Amino acid sequence: MTAGRHAAAIQRPDRLPGHARAARPVTLGVRVARAPVALAGAVIVAAYVLAAVLAPVLAPADPLRMAPQALLAPPGGGHPFGTDQFGRDVLSRLVFGSRTSLVVSFASTALALGAGGAAGILAGYCGGMLDDAVMRAMDVIFAFPAVLLAIAIMAVAGTAPATIVLAIGLVYTPQFARVGRASVLQVRGLEYVEAARALGGGGRRILTRHILPNIAAPLIVQTSLSLSLAILTESALSFLGLGTQPPTPSWGNMLAESRRFMVTAPWTAVFPGAAIALIVLGFNLLGDGLRDLLDPRLRL
Amino acid sequence: MLRRRVLLCLVVLAAVPLATGLPAASRTEAAAARTTLTIGVDQEVVGLDPNKVTAFSSFRRIDLLYNKLVTYDAGLRIVGDLAESWDNPDARTYVFHLRKGVRFHDGAELTSDDVVFTIQRILEPKTASPGRSYLEPVDSVTATDRYTVRLHLKYPLASLLSGLASGNAAIVEKAAVLKSGDLQKTEAGTGPFMLAEWVPDNFMRLARNPRYFKRGLPKVDEVVFRVIPEQASLLAGVRARSLDMATISDGSVVKQALADRALVVAQAPSLNLRIFSFNTTRPPFTDARVRDAIAYAIDRQAIVNAAEFGLGVVSGPIPAPDKVWALPTSEFPEYHPDPAKARQMLQEAGAAGASFRIVASPTYEGGLAVAQVIQSQLQAVGLRPTIENIEWGTYINRWVKRDFDTMVELRGGDPDPDRFLYRTFYSTGAVNNFLFKDPAIDRLLDRGRVHLTVAERRPIYHELEKALVRAAPAVFLYTPMETQVLQRYVTGFRVIPTGALTYLEQTSIQR
Amino acid sequence: MTAFLVSRLATLLPVLWGVSIVVFLLIHLLPGNAIQLFLGTQVEMTPAQMDELRRLFGLAKPLPLQYVDWLGRVLRGDFGVSLRTSRPILPDILARLPVSVEITVLALAVALAIALPVGIVAALRRGSVADAVIRIAGLVGLSVPNFWLAAMLLLLLSNVTPVASIGIYVGLLRNPVENLTVMALPALSLGVALAAIIMRFVRSSLLEVLGQEYVRTARSKGLREPLVIGRHALRNALIPVITVVGFQAGYLLGGTVVIEEVFALPGMGRFALNAIAQRDYPVVQGVVLVIACLFVLANLAVDVLYALVDPRVRYG
Repeated sequence: MTAGRHAAAIQRPDRLPGHARAARPVTLGVRVARAPVALAGAVIVAAYVLAAVLAPVLAPADPLRMAPQALLAPPGGGHPFGTDQFGRDVLSRLVFGSRTSLVVSFASTALALGAGGAAGILAGYCGGMLDDAVMRAMDVIFAFPAVLLAIAIMAVAGTAPATIVLAIGLVYTPQFARVGRASVLQVRGLEYVEAARALGGGGRRILTRHILPNIAAPLIVQTSLSLSLAILTESALSFLGLGTQPPTPSWGNMLAESRRFMVTAPWTAVFPGAAIALIVLGFNLLGDGLRDLLDPRLRL
Repeated sequence: MLRRRVLLCLVVLAAVPLATGLPAASRTEAAAARTTLTIGVDQEVVGLDPNKVTAFSSFRRIDLLYNKLVTYDAGLRIVGDLAESWDNPDARTYVFHLRKGVRFHDGAELTSDDVVFTIQRILEPKTASPGRSYLEPVDSVTATDRYTVRLHLKYPLASLLSGLASGNAAIVEKAAVLKSGDLQKTEAGTGPFMLAEWVPDNFMRLARNPRYFKRGLPKVDEVVFRVIPEQASLLAGVRARSLDMATISDGSVVKQALADRALVVAQAPSLNLRIFSFNTTRPPFTDARVRDAIAYAIDRQAIVNAAEFGLGVVSGPIPAPDKVWALPTSEFPEYHPDPAKARQMLQEAGAAGASFRIVASPTYEGGLAVAQVIQSQLQAVGLRPTIENIEWGTYINRWVKRDFDTMVELRGGDPDPDRFLYRTFYSTGAVNNFLFKDPAIDRLLDRGRVHLTVAERRPIYHELEKALVRAAPAVFLYTPMETQVLQRYVTGFRVIPTGALTYLEQTSIQR
Repeated sequence: MTAFLVSRLATLLPVLWGVSIVVFLLIHLLPGNAIQLFLGTQVEMTPAQMDELRRLFGLAKPLPLQYVDWLGRVLRGDFGVSLRTSRPILPDILARLPVSVEITVLALAVALAIALPVGIVAALRRGSVADAVIRIAGLVGLSVPNFWLAAMLLLLLSNVTPVASIGIYVGLLRNPVENLTVMALPALSLGVALAAIIMRFVRSSLLEVLGQEYVRTARSKGLREPLVIGRHALRNALIPVITVVGFQAGYLLGGTVVIEEVFALPGMGRFALNAIAQRDYPVVQGVVLVIACLFVLANLAVDVLYALVDPRVRYG
């Protein structure tokens, strides 16, 4: 049994980056300069957040306003990205949709990170019965088919944005718990933690001073992946009719709707698709970059 | 060595479940010699017992497996099916003379015994048959001889024949029901096709009935139904020629098919009716003026254009293709959208700026797109509706409990106005979930069902239609199109407003 | 080894028991019930008739009792009958199981076929243009929803190749050619995003291994580079990849609903999806339990494989 867990601990990919080579001391400035990747990611994410905040200023039109004379109008004229089935401006819906999509993405990931990460760290740190209980509970969620779990939650609690966040967050919680626990198990056995313990350091102190900083990297990678997957999951729920409530736009429901017009009105599909692709790129570049910055093995 | 073990484990892991549950045969080995028509549909049947089912998808298969006493032709006239003829000695008595020599799929002959058994089965409350309400006034049903059945009614009912033409009144084989108890998984009919193989969610194969009572029909050897839930995938299936035809309901996909010159699109306006329902016990919809104002605020053609891509016909309370009864919509003042007037009426009723919810569901019946257009149109007259988009099971739950302010629905209509309107709008009607009560409308509904001739009934229904549009328990919107997309080599098929696939028996493949 | 297996299996039971409780509660919490949905919007019944139907459907007892009844029967191998179609549930699940398992295996095969070579190239040419292109392509692959990719492939290919034809699913052993024709696009649609995920693991894992001493030792011994990579580095680098694949396999088993919808495949996801919509309680419960079972077994298999491959792991 322990072997199985151990296996789970070793497998975590997140601690695998190839920085095991001997490193020289470097300053933060040098490291940031060496991480154009993180910078590029940060710029993309910041631009999206800015667009979401400034949506009312940036959007050329009311995203909900229908134009019966301009159904599925191609790009050009008053509509740079064309219009949708109801004659609504695609660009404006895209800009306002960033609010829904980013909120769902950030909030559900925060939920999964908060709940799952905390549960995993505690389980890994305390071990014993608590570990067993927490991880079995996580296994239950994990073993439950994810999409069906989300659908059932949406059906029980309705399709309010909070429910979407809850459903998606819950689905990703066990993954964070596993990453958190595995990382703790791994650093717990390391010499410097043992040393801190031998020196009589309190549990809390060891946890906050020694363990947390060292498991940040894997959690960050998991977070960036989860931020991207949350957007895709919202889109899959929209495909099944249970995503963001119309008429409110989200990239996910725009993309799900557009699948029927891919031939007749490709602009309804291309732009939300590109928006998602770019933010996924942003999240992951930022995540990879941050990991490189924070990896303790780089800091030696 | 190590690698081999790993590989072996993977192989075993993969192979075990693959070997266990093999689905039964698909296209048969002898397919080359037989003509097979493959048709794509978007919903699996729920069950096959004709007296019990309620789903559209089930009716479309039952039509091929069974026959009824009477049926509707393409022009929506009642014609004989298993009954060769019938007469009315008086308004409360029907005598049906059955065709002789009709055989069930197991070879047994159809007799009056089976007909009596079927009708009694429908009337039995334990069967929970939707058909029971269509045949409610039936007092007694008796077999006077091997080929004659006599129905006696408690009171005259103009729509009785229409009820008997419903799929729920399909005649089943008495012996088979007594043996298996339920026909949900099997069939015991007389229809042009016989159930040969059914793998749920995958396909259903129907074989030609060689003893079918219409000589020379059906023309193809087998019909295969494929369940493909995605509308765009249905079209892809036709374009790739793995389907010979497909039933498509999504307007945007039909548009793509229309643009494809290799395909034929057959369409007819259906008898289904899209409505925007009010709960007339919830303010502000308790006030008929508010409902009427909303009827003026709504632009029905704009809804058809956006939600159905123009593929629908604006309709009054009686579905537009039912030409015998339906008034032209120009007769209804509410059908000339007038937002200014609507605003003023709302003001007078004290309902300006009212907030309420529109219940809709992402399934086709749930009309989510329609709800969005309605929301936008009502916002334009100052109302503040929000859409409540709920999953289908929840939607039905809310419908049954009448738990809604307003709701977008698709109602299944019927060629006879009594069968659709009575149970829908009578104050005690079975599916009056508007909780609508209007004595004047009740009186018209009562009068419409006791007269038996069209000439007597028509003026009553014309008056009723105007009254219903004005009283507006619901805003009547449009009838969607029934659409089949066919390959050029499929001939003889016709789309009829009831949506029944009756013409499949006439269909052949001419490559 | 046996003790290891037994102890691992023992931990699976509480998980499956937990899943059975969660699915039972969740499905019964859904508004509406099977009878309403069965009757649809066409039939109106008196309360007495409803009660009668409720008894017939086995929904009259208190929930805890219903749960105990159901669990008791499942433990004896009886999954009950569908409330909706009155078909026995277990045979229907077994008929759909091969579809879900096959699409999972094929999607993983597609993913590995893309991810392994591409990930290796990216790692060996770390920092090069090829590496950057591969990583960005990987992220784009990750960002395309599978239903969208599927619809796109169908659309673009439906006039071109019979592979994009929405064929009838036929068992793999019955007719392999037809089976693979039907499964090709679904596997591709699912495999692309997976490939993106796995490729990241291959790349980072290989990079780490390449930095380690035994690889340097092997190189310094003068072994040819392909041999170093192939025999030493790759084998060790694949260890974490196996685990990821195992996780994804478990996830896919229940996660192919959307693809099953697009390609009309008669798999377990669609079975459960329809059953949720129809409130067909025993079907949802049965399918979820079977998927959960497969999931934990897949994970167990990964642990076992892992123990076999990695000398550092000993059976506890």
